[in-house]
Amino acid sequence: MKTIQAAVDMAEDGDILRIKSGTYKEHDISIIDKSLTIIGEGFPVIDAEMEGTAVSVRAENFSIEGLKIINVGRSHTNDFAGILVSNAKNFEIKNNRLDQVFFGILLERSSEGTVSGNIITSNAESQSTSGNGVHIWKSEEITVKNNEVIGLRDGIYLEFVNNSEIINNLCKDNLRYGLHFMFSDHDLYKGNIFENNGAGVAVMYSKFIDMQDNQFRKNWGSASYGLLLKEINDSELKNNIFEDNTIAISADNTNRIDYIENDFRNNGYAIRIRGAVYDNNFKRNNFLYNSFDVAYTGRLNNNKFTNNYWSGYSGYDLNRDGIGDVPFRPVTLFSYLVNKTPEAIVLLRSTFIDLLDFSEKVSPIFTPADLIDAQPQMKRIQW
Amino acid sequence: MKKIIYLLVLVLFTACSSEPQPIDYGKDNCDFCEMTIVSKAYAAQAVSEKGKQYKYDAIECMVNHQLQHNYEMPVNLVANFEQPGTMISVNEANFVINDSIKSPMGGNLAAFKKESAVVNTESKDIFNWQELKTIFLENDSLTTSY
Repeated sequence: MKTIQAAVDMAEDGDILRIKSGTYKEHDISIIDKSLTIIGEGFPVIDAEMEGTAVSVRAENFSIEGLKIINVGRSHTNDFAGILVSNAKNFEIKNNRLDQVFFGILLERSSEGTVSGNIITSNAESQSTSGNGVHIWKSEEITVKNNEVIGLRDGIYLEFVNNSEIINNLCKDNLRYGLHFMFSDHDLYKGNIFENNGAGVAVMYSKFIDMQDNQFRKNWGSASYGLLLKEINDSELKNNIFEDNTIAISADNTNRIDYIENDFRNNGYAIRIRGAVYDNNFKRNNFLYNSFDVAYTGRLNNNKFTNNYWSGYSGYDLNRDGIGDVPFRPVTLFSYLVNKTPEAIVLLRSTFIDLLDFSEKVSPIFTPADLIDAQPQMKRIQW
Repeated sequence: MKKIIYLLVLVLFTACSSEPQPIDYGKDNCDFCEMTIVSKAYAAQAVSEKGKQYKYDAIECMVNHQLQHNYEMPVNLVANFEQPGTMISVNEANFVINDSIKSPMGGNLAAFKKESAVVNTESKDIFNWQELKTIFLENDSLTTSY
């Protein structure tokens, strides 16, 4: 067999196709309605020569393993991908390497699939010609596990994707987001590392999202976030680490979210709350050396802060029960001012501001009076 | 000293200008949904009378933002879908809403020059700026769907 397409055309349902190492200059290899197991031996290279999609599949029960795909075509009207899977069910795409791709692995209207152990890289410096690493659209029950996605537009993107899991991936140096949810419900993301992306993760217009054990690091820039929450409800954020982000979490229109046992270290803002944020619980988190712990717009608050550790807390604990005797006010007047007039940030370390914050602490006028942690912990919380 | 004065004057003048400033793709954030603006085919921007710059990652964000806050902007620009990276005024554009268009905020919306063949076909999915705003008012899309 000279070409992969010829081999695919010859193959019958249930066959195993072994591709020997070498370079195959092919694009638009299509597999339709055949349950094949494709195994690359020694990473055979499929070079799409910038001409479009490399491999596309529409089938049930198939797997693709051990391929190296390079030079996927770019376009602003067509979503060319390294591997395109559409209307498929019960499949596995594992341990492939994709380099210089537009979209990496693109799943459409599919279910019960696994994408694991793939390494996807591109060079998304020229923004108009960058796609997403793993892009999933209108699908269900997909697992994305142990992949590395570096240098694309979004690392992993989910749009209308329900009941899926994103586990132990590394998303680094992506132009926009490490991970991006749009209109997706009942999903879990766990154990991922998001580093140095335009912003770490954006969860938008979604609900019932479980967020655990992730690291959001070094998302630094004048308007960059570790985690952007917009119109998201009924979710949980637990045991995550936010480190060195300009804004660790920016929340807008988010309701009934539990923030439990997270670490916020050395961020500009730990939590920036914008409009319409109700019934959120912040419990047993560590706020460590952030310039601002909580920034707030408006004077109404019905979010609860309890039992957190605040490195900026200067109260005392006379009865030695581990809980500070005076409540902590996480919103300083200055953070309030900066929220309204960002340029005021130049005054950050001035004595005048310290004085301002102190007087506000003594008798709050501008900041929400009921936004307090009544039981601040004296010691850092171990979780 | 003189240089500083020149600089100040320059700053003052540029601050008052109502010229739209180009979008820095990959750096600027959308003023409505806060997403980083990356796609040259869908972006939009507006400038207020006082010269305040608004930038959007999608046309649907601009429309939603203006409808929600009742903004009337003297300058409204949208990306020309056929020539990504170039902006056209909303008045020289026609808009297409179609499932095949994958705009960033789920609006399936793109803008074309009025002369373009794409928007001179018979289709009920083609609108001018005023019609587009009416549709958004009626549907009150994204923002209230949850």
